[in-house]
Amino acid sequence: MPKLNTFRDLESLRERLREDRRKITARVILCGGTGCQASRSRLVIEAVKGELAKQGLDQSVQVRVTGCHGFCEQGPIAIIEPGNIFYCRLLPEDAQEMLSKTVRSGEVIERLLYTDPVSGRKIQTESDIPFYRGQDRQLLSRNRELDPRSIEDYIALGGYSALVKVLESMAPEEIIREIKASGLRGRGGGGFPTGRKWAECREAPSEEKYVICNADEGDPGAYMDRCVLEGNPHSILEGMMIGAWAIGARHGHIYVRNEYPLAVKHSRIAVQQARELGLLGENLLGSAFSFDVDITRGGGAFVCGESTALMASVEGKVGEPRPKDVHTVVDGLWHKPTTLNNVETWANVPSIILKGSAWFASKGSKGSKGTKILALTGRIKNTGLVEVAMGTPLRTVVFDIGGGAVNGRRIKAVQIGGPSGGCLPVEKFDLPVDFDVLAEAGSMVGSGGMVVMDEASCMVDVAKYFLTFLQDESCGKCVPCRLGIDRMLEIITDITEGRGTPEQIALLEELADTVSQTALCGLGKTAANPVLTTLRYFREEYDAHINRKKCPAGVCSALITYAIDADKCDACGVCIRACVHGAIQGQKKQVPQIDFQLCRKCGICRSECKSEAILVN
Amino acid sequence: MLQYVTINIDGALIRAVKGTSVLDTAIEYGVCIPHLCHVSYLSDFGGCRLCIVEHVVNGRANVTASCTLNVQEGMVIRSNTERIKKLRRNLAELLVAQAPNSRAIQDLALRCGVKEVRYPFRNRNCVLCGRCVRACTELWRARAIGFVGRGKNRRVDYPLGVHPDFCKQCGACVQLCPMTITPCEGPMKPGQERLCGKCESQLLSADQTPDTCGWCKLGEGFSCGRYA
Repeated sequence: MPKLNTFRDLESLRERLREDRRKITARVILCGGTGCQASRSRLVIEAVKGELAKQGLDQSVQVRVTGCHGFCEQGPIAIIEPGNIFYCRLLPEDAQEMLSKTVRSGEVIERLLYTDPVSGRKIQTESDIPFYRGQDRQLLSRNRELDPRSIEDYIALGGYSALVKVLESMAPEEIIREIKASGLRGRGGGGFPTGRKWAECREAPSEEKYVICNADEGDPGAYMDRCVLEGNPHSILEGMMIGAWAIGARHGHIYVRNEYPLAVKHSRIAVQQARELGLLGENLLGSAFSFDVDITRGGGAFVCGESTALMASVEGKVGEPRPKDVHTVVDGLWHKPTTLNNVETWANVPSIILKGSAWFASKGSKGSKGTKILALTGRIKNTGLVEVAMGTPLRTVVFDIGGGAVNGRRIKAVQIGGPSGGCLPVEKFDLPVDFDVLAEAGSMVGSGGMVVMDEASCMVDVAKYFLTFLQDESCGKCVPCRLGIDRMLEIITDITEGRGTPEQIALLEELADTVSQTALCGLGKTAANPVLTTLRYFREEYDAHINRKKCPAGVCSALITYAIDADKCDACGVCIRACVHGAIQGQKKQVPQIDFQLCRKCGICRSECKSEAILVN
Repeated sequence: MLQYVTINIDGALIRAVKGTSVLDTAIEYGVCIPHLCHVSYLSDFGGCRLCIVEHVVNGRANVTASCTLNVQEGMVIRSNTERIKKLRRNLAELLVAQAPNSRAIQDLALRCGVKEVRYPFRNRNCVLCGRCVRACTELWRARAIGFVGRGKNRRVDYPLGVHPDFCKQCGACVQLCPMTITPCEGPMKPGQERLCGKCESQLLSADQTPDTCGWCKLGEGFSCGRYA
């Protein structure tokens, strides 16, 4: 494609691409995101392509391989246009039937449709599925409309028109005013007002400035940044260009973790395509603005998601945070003013510019505007990526979109914001997804990870899990984080293994408070949150572990014993064969006995037993 | 020409050289802020966090390390409030539980008001204050030692674990190490670690004037700033 030299060139290219696309009426949209690839969508994609050629449809039907649709547990996913028919859990063998029936004659294949786990109904289109219906998908909905490896798709959808708008008619101050008015806040965890950050960076005196996109997403179970970067990399590039123009930067970095190979690949392709088209480079589109982007891969340290550690890593140094008494908007990358925003924050920028700050501010709650992508996982029926307007109550997310608990268990708590967030009990489920409200409750929106837990989760064990994660990921530079987390973990391990004393709770609280106040960086400052919130809301579980030496959820193996319920047991002998330690003995057609000397409390017998006769005390 | 700013530390208005840290200014003026990783002639990296102070901004007191906080005109610093004392005591307790086998750490714990240690002792040989690493890097540009590993696996080591020939054998690392100063009664054996508390008499004056440098024993051989 020829290089675009003026705004006019871009518009005429857009017209031409739209004209081309209008001719195509039939489409098979296949998800090629990492989630669906894990369910072998690549084979499905190849099967569909091969089948199209075989049936002679490859000229009239377009295959579009897109980024993630959010409903990864149902992958591989396909949507067939016209009709918007939603098929899930596809196998390569289904390709032939799907094309000959649905694509050729619009006939719906009942077997491939989604079954609602709540009502048991078959559902035909995406918009009728409860998981999608409860959402407000501003960013995620665009994923299905474009192939992330095609800049043409993005331009045809109106891409880079926000860039043209700011270059043509908006002064940098005006952009910052608009972002400020929209109330956009940082989506990476801190929730710092983006407009204020940009304004401070613009005012910082320096010739050289930088913008950085933080895609070093490391929270366990969270993958919204990956999804946006994989599915729509050009929206991030466009956001960064607008930000760079607003603060006066000429250079940008995308810091993406190397564990996201597809995101690295797609962002590289996007940068390459934008350079070829003249959307990156000197005096792009004939304006006074010059900008280029480099892609830096992270080496797998969780702490490099922290802004100063990330900048050290980009500079080629060890990824360790440094004190932030002077903010990075003044003294950042290479000691130059730097604006660092999360993937999701950048992705929101183009639509704010195009649709106006009032549109963005109309969504959300008083202090938090717009939508937020949450990674919903845990013991619920529907898991995946969920985008809701800020201010949506947790109850709606967990019960309406998530479909409630599996196996008829009672939901106990939700852990929000990854390892730095906190656990909120079910009584607090009326709280909205809102930066300030959740922070007040001891948790945080954070990056948006949401793990739902039911009665079978022990909250002390949950706190232990997150402390173990943070102990592994702490850089070890400062004392409170290195030694404080270590000692907290030591105390919690004592508690879960039955050595806990009541005084240790007070010590744990004091230590957690010390760590959160004195640690050097955000990782340490928030590391105590899982401990503090579980102590605040689930004190009775700690007391049960310490005073009664019991684990109410039956998780902490040192505090539980297994027993066989003679009334329920049908003496099938499965447990005898399943026990790897040889701790269950018994004769044929007799209730077996557990030898407590040999029992290692692994729980295999319990999961194998069909009649639920193995009890945990 | 030196430029000066006026800052307020614990109510005293102090004229400080622009570009210096709050900790340096406080030590210069005789305000004792306990510290471990700070050495006056090395760069500060804010690792031990013992020198935390309250920095009052718009009526809100932020806890921050004073060694990495540069002085600014009109700054209000509180170095010895109850909150700070409690946090500092907890941090010193963590340190002394980790490495009780050093007079420097024991004295520091005492100076920060540690009366009992509520964690099991560990008797480690290094508290990762990074004095040696920075001395090697900054005094000689030798880089013969550095931090290796992350989190609880972090340690000070040679490059690839081999003593390099570019080590200048200067001994600055040993001289600055707080762990080379053994407790007065000799090294503690594993299982016999305790909070020694022997030097309490030395610190009596410091207890009565808590935020004033009493030229205590802590500074001896330890480059606390007034002695160096």
